[in-house]
Amino acid sequence: MTQKLLLKSALPAALTALLADHAVFAPTGEAERHAFTCLSSAEASETADAVNLDGLTTISPKEILFPRSETLYGIGLENGEISTPEPTGPTVIFGVRPCDVRSIANLDCSFLEKGFVDTAYVQRRENLTIIALACKELQSPACFCDSMGGGPASAEGADIMLTETADGKAFLVSFLTAKGEAIEKLWETASVLTEPNSADTAPPPPVCTLKVDKPQDLPAKLMAAFDDPAWERLSESCLGCGTCSYICPTCYCFDIDTEISGGKAEQLRCWDCCMFSDYSRMAGGHDPRPTKKERLRNRFLHKLAYFDERHGRTLCVGCGRCIAKCPSGVDIAHVIEWGGTL
Amino acid sequence: MSDHNCCNNNPLVPLQCKLIGITEETPDVKTFRIQCADGSKPFTPLPGQLAMISLAGIGEAMFSITAQGDDWIESAIKRVGLLTEALHSADIGDAIGVRGPYGNSFPADALKGKDLLFVGGGIGLAPVRSLILHVLKNKADYGEIDVLYGSRSYADLVFKADLFENWPKQLNTHITIDAAEDGWDGHVGFVPSYLEEKAFSPKNRACIVCGPPIMIKFSLEALERMGFAKENIITTLEMRMKCGIGKCGRCNIGSKYICLDGPVFTLSELDELPDEK
Ligand code: SF4
Ligand code: SF4
Ligand code: FES
Repeated sequence: MTQKLLLKSALPAALTALLADHAVFAPTGEAERHAFTCLSSAEASETADAVNLDGLTTISPKEILFPRSETLYGIGLENGEISTPEPTGPTVIFGVRPCDVRSIANLDCSFLEKGFVDTAYVQRRENLTIIALACKELQSPACFCDSMGGGPASAEGADIMLTETADGKAFLVSFLTAKGEAIEKLWETASVLTEPNSADTAPPPPVCTLKVDKPQDLPAKLMAAFDDPAWERLSESCLGCGTCSYICPTCYCFDIDTEISGGKAEQLRCWDCCMFSDYSRMAGGHDPRPTKKERLRNRFLHKLAYFDERHGRTLCVGCGRCIAKCPSGVDIAHVIEWGGTL
Repeated sequence: MSDHNCCNNNPLVPLQCKLIGITEETPDVKTFRIQCADGSKPFTPLPGQLAMISLAGIGEAMFSITAQGDDWIESAIKRVGLLTEALHSADIGDAIGVRGPYGNSFPADALKGKDLLFVGGGIGLAPVRSLILHVLKNKADYGEIDVLYGSRSYADLVFKADLFENWPKQLNTHITIDAAEDGWDGHVGFVPSYLEEKAFSPKNRACIVCGPPIMIKFSLEALERMGFAKENIITTLEMRMKCGIGKCGRCNIGSKYICLDGPVFTLSELDELPDEK
């Protein structure tokens, strides 16, 4: 596999070339609003201003595949006619960090495996090309991707991998899949790629400072501790605010609800959170997880044990977002560490 | 999932169906007979499987399928919330959405050759009725059949035509109500204690238990005391559900999704799951 060079000065042209026949999502905004948004052609050509490739986005890119709210179908209240939304076309996500790219494999497990295939998801997923960006520096002290099977330069799941050169003026570009090669052609045609010379090298990737000791048998250890009083302590400060799952790239639970507008009932799918108090309460009032202790335990066991049993992967890629943003200091790294000591 | 039926090949979009029959079972339970708008059968469920039933503009929820015919399926539904309230005020001919079937099923084949004891409480007779009807249709394959069922009062007993007319001709019925009332000369008492009183032999007998959580709990304990092996005790679990297709994450107990891997479990399988039911 040969590497090409994409000069940062050629980024506007590269993004504009993609926009010809793709919707292009890239990180924009800053701080709390740092998130992936769909670029307009004006934003693409003014990349220097609009696209913000510095740091991990506050909001993960999962909403490109799994929107926070979407219409599954509409049904006419008078005529009972069913209408389904238009499928989305070819889409590129540009500048996704390795942890977030790995999180897509987790979403794939849930939406595509074990019997049913989710129609809306598979349609978007097949149309998606992932352009990943290796981390040149550590994004935050809460990053622990290299304890979770990934790493700041991991290309797992990427169609194209970008690695910033030591001088910071360009990206080394590897085209890793057929989808990636299709974009290579597009970029060749648009003359945005050049040949790297010997000076264009990438510095060694950073190493996460947060080290989490995750033993092989963590699922079994945590399951054996199902009745441990530690869950009660861990959940004491939790507010049930849902921030952790909202910003988590791998959390995929959803609610389905109905909304009426213009003579039509829209069946909507929205993000949900297992930490909300009414999450598993049934119509008759019975709730198998009545307090935050059971809810927090379910959240962490889902991430660290149940998902592994079902799909053979941990439902956490170590992006550190929940650690950085939980208002109460609930910390998944502590839970993993504690599990390891059991 | 070739047997699953939905609209536009999208497992979350319901088939457009209509109500072709409504039976009032008790003051708060009605049985709804459902057919596709074009007169065909929505799908052919196995005993114990579930259907996602919806009313446009109101919502959808999962219910067990109680019975089926050549061109219909039936569900007995208790009035407990918004959707079921609206269903209870629906009329014959009204549009209704259905997708399914969902979940595993009662192990009808593995039960062949055994005596069967069905234990039900309240609306809990609904999920097992599909198996009772299946067994009665294939009676030569099974041994002796007993149905022990109870409710709060006579009025709350579901499927009265089966309990008092059809079934007594084909199987042994044992009916109880929680408290004595005028005109009732049958057994009075709770299901679990009636069960122990009857002292059914566990020899070559499997037991299928469905009902409110508290009834299930005490009945399972009673059955174990009576010597039933955990493998021969079967029950169904109820969890809140949204998608029915193992995606929304709502219905998990441990790593199992009740909408896919349940609702039917043997007691030995339940023991493997975390205690969160
Ligand atoms: S763990 Fe933290 S972020 Fe998650 S619900 Fe509790 S308080 Fe909110
Ligand atoms: S659980 Fe926390 S650290 Fe793990 S992927 Fe989700 S947000 Fe990132
Ligand atoms: S109801 Fe959605 S996963 Fe079971």
